Amino acid sequence: MSLTDKRRIAVTGIGLVTPVGNDRESTWEALLAGRSGGAQIENFDASGFSTTIGAEVKDFERENAGLCRKLLKGASRADGFALAAANEALSDAGIAPSDEDSHRWGVAVGAGMMSVDYDDLKVVYDYATEEGEFQPNGLLRQDYPADPISFCRWQSNSGLSLLTKAFGIRGYATSVHTACASGGQAIGSALKALRRGQCDKVLAGGFDSMLNPVGIAGFCLLGALSTDNDNPAGASRPFDETRNGFLLGEGAGFLVLEDWDAALERGAKIYAELGGDGNSLSCYRITDSPPDGNGPIQAIEQALADAGISAGEIDYVNAHGTSTQMNDRSECAALKTVFGNRVGDVSVSSTKSCMGHLIAAAGAVEAAVCCLAIRDSIAPVNANHQNPDPDCDVNLVTGESRAIEIRAALSNSLGFGGSNSSLVFLNPERGQL
Amino acid sequence: MKNAPGKIVFTGSGIVCGSGSSVTEVWENLSAGETSIAEFHWERGRIRRYEWGNEGWPCRVASEVREDNRTLVPDRKLHKTISRKDMYGIYAAEQAIEDSGVLKCRDNMDAAGREAFNDRTGLIVGSGGGNYQDNYDFFPLIYEANEEMPGFGRELNNRVTPMWLLRNLPNNVLCHVGIRGQLKGTNACITNQCASSPMAVAEAASAIWNQEADRIVAVGHDSVLEPEHILYYDKLGLLSNEVPKPFDAARSGTVFGEGGGAVVMEREEEAVRRGASILGEFLGFGSTCEARGTTDLDPTGDGVMRAIEQALDDAELKPEDVGMICAHGNGTRASDLTEGLGIQSVFGSDIPPVTAFKWAYGHLIGAAGIVDLVMTLEALKQGRVPAISSLNKVDDQLADFPAQLKSLAPRTDVALVICRAFGGLNIVLAVRGLSG
Repeated sequence: MSLTDKRRIAVTGIGLVTPVGNDRESTWEALLAGRSGGAQIENFDASGFSTTIGAEVKDFERENAGLCRKLLKGASRADGFALAAANEALSDAGIAPSDEDSHRWGVAVGAGMMSVDYDDLKVVYDYATEEGEFQPNGLLRQDYPADPISFCRWQSNSGLSLLTKAFGIRGYATSVHTACASGGQAIGSALKALRRGQCDKVLAGGFDSMLNPVGIAGFCLLGALSTDNDNPAGASRPFDETRNGFLLGEGAGFLVLEDWDAALERGAKIYAELGGDGNSLSCYRITDSPPDGNGPIQAIEQALADAGISAGEIDYVNAHGTSTQMNDRSECAALKTVFGNRVGDVSVSSTKSCMGHLIAAAGAVEAAVCCLAIRDSIAPVNANHQNPDPDCDVNLVTGESRAIEIRAALSNSLGFGGSNSSLVFLNPERGQL
Repeated sequence: MKNAPGKIVFTGSGIVCGSGSSVTEVWENLSAGETSIAEFHWERGRIRRYEWGNEGWPCRVASEVREDNRTLVPDRKLHKTISRKDMYGIYAAEQAIEDSGVLKCRDNMDAAGREAFNDRTGLIVGSGGGNYQDNYDFFPLIYEANEEMPGFGRELNNRVTPMWLLRNLPNNVLCHVGIRGQLKGTNACITNQCASSPMAVAEAASAIWNQEADRIVAVGHDSVLEPEHILYYDKLGLLSNEVPKPFDAARSGTVFGEGGGAVVMEREEEAVRRGASILGEFLGFGSTCEARGTTDLDPTGDGVMRAIEQALDDAELKPEDVGMICAHGNGTRASDLTEGLGIQSVFGSDIPPVTAFKWAYGHLIGAAGIVDLVMTLEALKQGRVPAISSLNKVDDQLADFPAQLKSLAPRTDVALVICRAFGGLNIVLAVRGLSG
């Protein structure tokens, strides 16, 4: 197959649940305004942790998200976000799996780390420990509430199972977990399934919530989080010289992807064309990205090649930009290598400056941000940028969001473990720009 | 695969499970009808940090990997940063890489050539999402904090290893096999519960199809041999205390195994160019789900039927071209029945020999599909479909179902490998082997 033979794929629906808004448009409005979702953590008493702040999803009533109540019983917090965002994406697209075509629908998600929450862990603690030592036979006690629903909730593909059941999807289904690159890789997997003709429509996205005592503990132990506890709104400042770690967020993002011609035929609104996907493995260290950008460079170049465009056509980059020293430096080195002397013409921002880091959901939510940026011809602001870092001298969208024509947008996600995912989205009116 | 730019071949394989730590050893046990399922001995201690007897536990048998950590992965520094189930993945992957000789062709390249080679070499891993016991590291902290949250936060750094999150990342095998072999190309870590590893093989084929890579190492690894997994699987009625009897009228559940498997997949022209010995060809796959939630199955076997049909279509094969089926056959009542019905719907009365291997090495959960694939390629090479040694009498509800009571030759050199998972997921791989 030559590149020109590749089936074209349209993005026709978007759904979001994020720390700055519980749906697509409120999230987008907050990102354009540069409003931060950072605050003191309220879901639990985080006062003892080295980091007491996070970007929580606020006032989210999953019972009001139009979902089956029985289904919600088996849903974790992250699964609830997923169901709501997927629901919004499907209604936005104006299509849903029917008895006739449910087998031609797929679902690909960035998710799948089995993370038991503190309350369920505490039940095991109560029955099966002595002075903090695990005593397995405590689990055999007659009154131990071994609840199969709780068990199913923490299986790696429980969220995927709920999504297929809730929306009646019966084709290709997969969960990908490459830490922070998960959401981007899931959308890339969906792209391939569609190109191969394995399905005609895919619900693709990511969801995560590690804003619980066990989740935040893991990141505190690594020293990966910002400890600016008295400044939650300014804690995430990607590419700023004083950046000191990321702000942990939570949420979900979903796209409806479908065959381009079919979307045109049914008169669907098309946000963007999902043009290309690129993946690489840095093979450097587990938590660090290589300082010279070796790894992220290959992912970006592969995504451009897969989309059949040159770097010169990218007008906006939604950066991974976690606000850690290493990541932001490495990513800028990669951008400078890929864009060369044109790097100053490309607007770059990290919307993690407002939303924080949504981990397995990040790549999917930020893919949605690229589509909205293309729709409205505006690059959302990289908030909290005050002190330029000479190592990060790319054309950042600072101060306020920037109205620009976007022929093509690039979304980067660089994960713990070294997985790098890049996606290219093309403006549907690219030819006329 | 349909519309593929060329053939995709298997050039190396690796395996570790309770039945052995090489393809030859596992095959010998499998073809001799020897099971490695036995009463497990947690008190060996080398497997788990805590000690417990298994008296009173609902399930007391499993197939355990016998090799110790140092045999699996000699790098002792690495033992501190990964879990034992990750070592199964690293071991199997490196065995497959060695078997294929694929990385040796880097040796004579210049620096630029090596870099280009590494960038075109992918790695896709199917992993379990994690284990319950990973979280037990927090128990001493909960105790020290008097079960109160502020103390839990304050004492965290004094009670829990800084490496906790890294040790428990689902994508550790991806990261470490990548670093050790400098496999820098396309990659993914699939966490699809029991369907993780066949999906890794399928996604590897898709990536080669999409011309993202010239060669990919596909890996699967898992172990759920831990108290909570055993307890809950038993509550769901899925576990047995005896060797599983796939498709038998008297089957009573499955038994856990653990381990890893890996295959090296390459574009045929690349493999031929470097003079690799070819184990088989990847022909296509099917992937469906049943939309019934985590544990329910479609009673008609519709999901299995559609996955087989998809795989045959992708491979451009007719049912009569299939020489043998390696079924999921986990030995539970509902799964085996619906799988059998699904197979019957596709093949009618002309079903090729059906075997299943979980009687030999248990259910490897995230690693199950790829370990079955490695053994299926070996079965095709040997020209022999091993019998299901625990089978006495096929379930009456599956009239004339050809589950194998005795070994016999496959009817062609093509096999289907079926794998099923929670979430009603069904993956079917279609492969061609070396004819025996």
